Amino acid sequence: MNLFVADPHWYGWVVAYFFLGGIAAGAYLLACLIEWFGTDDDARLARVAHWIALPLILLCAVFLIVDLHRPERFWHMIFKSEVTKQAFAEGFPFTATGWRWAADSLMFKPWSPMSSGSWGLSVFGACAAVSFLVAVRPHWRAVRWINRPWVMHAVRAVGVLAAVYVGSYTGALLSATSQPVWSDTTWLSPLFLASSVSTGLAAMVLLARWKRVGTPEARHKLESADLWAVGLEAVLLAAFLVSLGAYLEPMMFTVSGNLLVFGTVLAGLAAPLVIHRVYGERGWSQAAAAVCVLIGGLCLRTGAVTVNAELLARGPAAAAGISPEQTRRVGQPGADPGNRMPEVPSRTKLPGEP
Amino acid sequence: MAQAVGFFTDITVCIGCKACQVACHQWNDLPAWEDRPDGRVSLPVLSGDSYDNTRSLSAVNWRHVKFIEQFSPNAQRSESAWLMMSDVCKHCAHAPCLEVCPTGAIVRTEFDTVYIQEPACNGCRDCVAACPFGVIHMSETRGIAQKCTFCYDRLKHGLPPACAQACPTQSIKFGPLHQLQQEAHQRLAQLRRQGVTDARLYGADGEVLGGLNAFYLLRGAPEVYGLPADPKMPSTTVPRSTFWAALTGIAVALGALFKFRERTRRPPHTPLADPAPGVSV
Repeated sequence: MNLFVADPHWYGWVVAYFFLGGIAAGAYLLACLIEWFGTDDDARLARVAHWIALPLILLCAVFLIVDLHRPERFWHMIFKSEVTKQAFAEGFPFTATGWRWAADSLMFKPWSPMSSGSWGLSVFGACAAVSFLVAVRPHWRAVRWINRPWVMHAVRAVGVLAAVYVGSYTGALLSATSQPVWSDTTWLSPLFLASSVSTGLAAMVLLARWKRVGTPEARHKLESADLWAVGLEAVLLAAFLVSLGAYLEPMMFTVSGNLLVFGTVLAGLAAPLVIHRVYGERGWSQAAAAVCVLIGGLCLRTGAVTVNAELLARGPAAAAGISPEQTRRVGQPGADPGNRMPEVPSRTKLPGEP
Repeated sequence: MAQAVGFFTDITVCIGCKACQVACHQWNDLPAWEDRPDGRVSLPVLSGDSYDNTRSLSAVNWRHVKFIEQFSPNAQRSESAWLMMSDVCKHCAHAPCLEVCPTGAIVRTEFDTVYIQEPACNGCRDCVAACPFGVIHMSETRGIAQKCTFCYDRLKHGLPPACAQACPTQSIKFGPLHQLQQEAHQRLAQLRRQGVTDARLYGADGEVLGGLNAFYLLRGAPEVYGLPADPKMPSTTVPRSTFWAALTGIAVALGALFKFRERTRRPPHTPLADPAPGVSV
């Protein structure tokens, strides 16, 4: 656990993106798989996923752009900004030199999750857009052309891979840092994917109930599939906690760590199972279980994204597993100087100071 | 390519004068503090309990003299010791920030130093998360990542970096990397001969991230100075993360197959033409 690092301040927007992007990816993934494997009734029901995947992923794109300190430079993730500017300066697209510069302008680092994630998100967005149009406007002429078996199979094939990527790369992105907890495990990525699938299914269940889509049998299948996804998430959460080893103790001294573990276990895993077991097939219980899964998913993302900041705020003493009461704050005698900056109240400005 | 250059910082001769910090501020025209959008000031004027007033590297402190105040563990704190170390970007041979930077803003220069190109940075903060030394910070006013440039502008004109030139005790030595590494080993041997057995080099020989261009001679464990003993490259986690995620993806697909597969074969593609309830056509 490296507690000498600086906090990247990935907070609300990132949590919102991880949560909603996860729902979009999980729902899309399941919808494509159901369209391949399921009956026509199932496929008709699965279409609700396509209604939400595109709007959610567009919303996520907005969150990600807003989270940048220089939002107007969001396109630097996809194009090398200086090379692109040079290409235009050389007369792209009207000159050969401009084209030569442009050919080198794509920015792609497969080993950097944020770089490859930007591409994954773009590809997923494109697939989600096609599926959205086919689901919502099947009678448009252009959509009728697209809505052929081989085209849709190709779109789904690419979309499924992109959805698995978008659902999981966020965990790999956290692990590919030097931050405490995040970089101490490689299980965040599969855990986030499982959470994507369970929350995506929960969103589909709620939407199907609300809009009364599909036959009761198909809805029942979807609801029981959500339980299966919750089981997978439970296994991966356990693997994640085991992989932390000795670092689990300092993590459990943080509010975020407790939210991550107990919020996810109680709201996301235990509550849906109990509701299913006690209240069975009643209509409201299915919806309640789905809401619990969504709350659990939000707890998981919130806890995972904010736990590093809390450990860093505690300072290097946190690594020793010392309880917060025993940890002196910076400024107290004998405190560990740490490697970060305490916040101070705003300074009164001098007269004439801008 | 120009010659690879580096800093050799010998903490045994650092006197904590902060001339390096001041020189860095002056040359790079760094403000004393940044006014943040929320009205708070990001720098304490006086920390109040230490001569270490700036506390850490930051967007406006690219050099920072750490004052590590150690006291004996008894209640009276009968003995105390100060360690002083001028901290800076390590310009790692395998730089985690450069590896993760999704915009290509962070580059390696012809002097083998790591440099942030300001026009390309979009403030995603992946480098802040990746740096194992907590070097990179975001400028609240400019919205880009900030750190030591190794005085790239001065190197271009054959000048030593401002901090190294200002250092009155030669605690910060600047020069060609291989020459500094030899000097460091000589200095270590000299200290060992004098009985300073806890002296050690940090980052001089490629054991830390393939070697640090700004490496240190320390007394005691690196953790005492806020340096991680064994930092790792961010990408080392990516293959395993990918593997587990792929397995999970397969598990999900198998689960869906098991759950939704029909017993009878499905007719070859039936277009889903009927509009969904609640969606106008």
